[in-house]
Amino acid sequence: MKSKFLFPYWCRYLGWGLVMLHVPLSMFGRSHGMVNVLDKPSTGLFTGEHLFFIYTSLVMVSGLFLAAFSREKVEDEQIWQVRLDSLRWAIFVNYVVLIISLVFIEDVGHMLDLNLYVPLVFFIIRFRWVIYRLNRSLSREG
Amino acid sequence: MKNNIRVERAIKNITQGELAEQVGVSRQTINTIESNKYVPSTILALKIARVFGKALEEVFMLEDGD
Repeated sequence: MKSKFLFPYWCRYLGWGLVMLHVPLSMFGRSHGMVNVLDKPSTGLFTGEHLFFIYTSLVMVSGLFLAAFSREKVEDEQIWQVRLDSLRWAIFVNYVVLIISLVFIEDVGHMLDLNLYVPLVFFIIRFRWVIYRLNRSLSREG
Repeated sequence: MKNNIRVERAIKNITQGELAEQVGVSRQTINTIESNKYVPSTILALKIARVFGKALEEVFMLEDGD
C-alpha cells in the first residue's frame, strides 16, 4: 500500500525534538518578559511579542505535525486504517471541544490555541494507543 | 469473515513473521487477521491465498452474520 503525504520515519524524532524544544524556548521567552499575545490586547503585527508567539507556536505545531504524520517503520493497510480512524476521532473530538467552548468560553482568542493543538494531540494519543494495543496483543501471543 | 490462516500456516510450516514478510505487511496485521479482529483488503487476502497456493475461498470464508 502506498502511503502518500507522509514524512519519513525519522521525522517523528525530529518532531518530538521540536516539541521538547518548545518548553525551554517559551520559558526563556517568558522569563524575558514576553507574554502570550492572546493574553493581552493587540500589540500589532510583527512586534517582539507577536514574533515570540509565532515562533513558539510554530515550533510546537510543526513538532506535533511531524510527529503525527510521519511514516511507521512498517507501513501497511492496517496502520493506514488506524490512522484514518484516529483522524476521524480527532476531528470529532476537536469539534465537540470547539462547540462546547464556543458556548461556555467568552475568550475567543484562546480558541485558536485549542484548535491548533487538540486535533493533533488527540490524533497522536489515539493512534499510539491503538498501535500499543496491537503490539501488546502480539507479545501476549508470543 | 473467518479464515484458516493459522491452519494453513501450520501446514506450510511458516511463522506469522514469515507470512507477513512474504505479503509485505507487519506481523501485527497477520496476527489481527488470524484472530478475526481485522478484515484485510481484497488485495491482501488474494496475496495471502497466493502464498498458500489456495483459492481465496479456501482461506477466507463468510460467516452467517456477514
